[in-house]
Amino acid sequence: MAWRDGIKAFDAAIDVGMVWISNHGNDAFALLRGLLEGGFGAILWLLAEIPFWALSVMVGALGWRLLGWRFGAFATASLALCAALGLWTETIETLALVLSATTMAVLIGGGIGVFAGLSPRLARLLDPVLDLIQTLPPYLYLLPAIAFLGYGPATAILATFIVAVPPTVKLTALGISRTPTEFLELGAASGASGWQVFSKIRLPFALASIMAGVNQSLMMAFGMVVIAGIVGSGGLGQTIYASVRTLDIARSVDAAIAIVVLTIVLDRLSQTAARPQSFKTEPRA
Amino acid sequence: MTQDTSEILIDCRNVWKVFGERADDAIAAIRTRGAGKREVLRDFNCVVGVADASFQIRKGEIFCIMGLSGSGKSTLVRLLNRLIEPSLGEISIRGRNISQMNRKDLRSLRAHEIGMVFQSVALIPGRTVLDNAAFGLEVQGVGKAERHRIALDALARVGLSDWANHLPKQLSGGMQQRVGLARAIASDPGIILMDEPFSALDPLIRRQLQDEFRQLTKSLGKSAVFITHDLDEAMRIGDRIAIMKDGMMIQIGTAEEIVLHPADAYVAEFVAGISRLHLVKAHSLMLPLTDYAGPVEKLARTSPEADVQALIDLVLAAPEQAVAIAEGETLLGVVTARTLLQGIRGEEAVEKAQ
Repeated sequence: MAWRDGIKAFDAAIDVGMVWISNHGNDAFALLRGLLEGGFGAILWLLAEIPFWALSVMVGALGWRLLGWRFGAFATASLALCAALGLWTETIETLALVLSATTMAVLIGGGIGVFAGLSPRLARLLDPVLDLIQTLPPYLYLLPAIAFLGYGPATAILATFIVAVPPTVKLTALGISRTPTEFLELGAASGASGWQVFSKIRLPFALASIMAGVNQSLMMAFGMVVIAGIVGSGGLGQTIYASVRTLDIARSVDAAIAIVVLTIVLDRLSQTAARPQSFKTEPRA
Repeated sequence: MTQDTSEILIDCRNVWKVFGERADDAIAAIRTRGAGKREVLRDFNCVVGVADASFQIRKGEIFCIMGLSGSGKSTLVRLLNRLIEPSLGEISIRGRNISQMNRKDLRSLRAHEIGMVFQSVALIPGRTVLDNAAFGLEVQGVGKAERHRIALDALARVGLSDWANHLPKQLSGGMQQRVGLARAIASDPGIILMDEPFSALDPLIRRQLQDEFRQLTKSLGKSAVFITHDLDEAMRIGDRIAIMKDGMMIQIGTAEEIVLHPADAYVAEFVAGISRLHLVKAHSLMLPLTDYAGPVEKLARTSPEADVQALIDLVLAAPEQAVAIAEGETLLGVVTARTLLQGIRGEEAVEKAQ
């Protein structure tokens, strides 16, 4: 059976390749893993330092300021509920995972998006790659990550980053490239430098689009972080995965409830932030 | 006229702008064998935006460029601050050839010497009226307090100081365009480029802004290049008017010159509907003294700059139905009821005499 041999040879080649890559790239992977876990650890440490009630009240206050008292009360109650379910540690782990992956996605994706917005050629090159990332099932990204970074949060964050990065890149590029011509002309005619045109004209016009991208990235990250429970990410995802395996359905439902309320809170907060303050309609005088 | 002695701010010499993939070949053909617009389009598939434009604009002068859409007037105005690079020819601002400027000098020229006002106004939505008016100064790196002070002053000149802290969208179209003008004058440039600034406004607001603009520009001693598709507007605002068609400047002159001596049928058709009452002046109507039979000394006198409207009143009031035109004590000619009628009809006394 020639085709079976073929597949065996293919698998063997992959194994050899993996060994080669991990032998030669070991330091690089160790560094990457260190960076990812370091960032995650720092955020987690910060969140863990704050008592659950204080964090609940802080998020509630933020919600109250941005969206009114109803949402503020809902946000506080949601976080308190997570603690009441006995899932506070997992909740802040999930938050730390989402925040570290999203921060990476925003910094790196935003940067790439800006360049893609300024260079149609780069945008044309990136588009199929981003489309492919979004087309493939997110589950797949755990494979290369676990092969090189091993079991743990680093893998979860890397895979989550890959899933979360396309919306930020796409919507940043879109926002930056769609500056109305007359405003670019205004910049040039006023004697603005390239950087000034970017920071004073392109960026303010792109802000709404960029923030919409950040919101989408955040939501993608949330979805992926839960899936990443199976690679030992920690947090609510792992709780669900573990309790399903032991048929502890009640506990998995608890964790699911925590995930749902957390998602709603973060989505609403980041969506509101997507409407830049300066473009609001109220008079300032 | 006194203007002729003042400094030349803008000097355009044989400027061409050719758009298209084979623009270089087309320009070579224009340069070597004097190819025209039509040949350029036929042989190179290139469009001539501006063809062989030459003109000078002096300090304090308002120069209107009138043309219909596609005539090349918007391209021409953008050549003056090099938002568009000329294909051929030379443009000098205060004696400096702008095509040879490096980026830094060009930016400085745009920031300090040439202000621009756009048809679309282009006020940045997230900024207050004050911050919009201060935009040019902000780009120049002027400190916040200082630029706000200057911008507020500019807003006061256009009558909008009370609106400084509002957002652009809270202002009417006419007010927004005033902010655009304030933004342009805040940097105190010698030259203001106006790209059809009032075209989108209601007729009444528009006329008001035209008068305000002319007054403001004159009181500040600025030069302006004013683009419009409306001949009435050009005549109201401009010291001199250039009529553009198909990229060519077919006539440059004062409103009076254009109305009285249209360069071709196209211009003649344009000026046909223009009221001559305020455009035609005594000096182009008057009869030579020798052609007047009566005693000239007894007639009431007026200046050669008196327009038809004023002359009609004077002639009606005079028992001789004539008025003498004098510069100081020197008598220059006579305007009679007959010459006035000829003037309104569009026939000149000089032509009649010949």
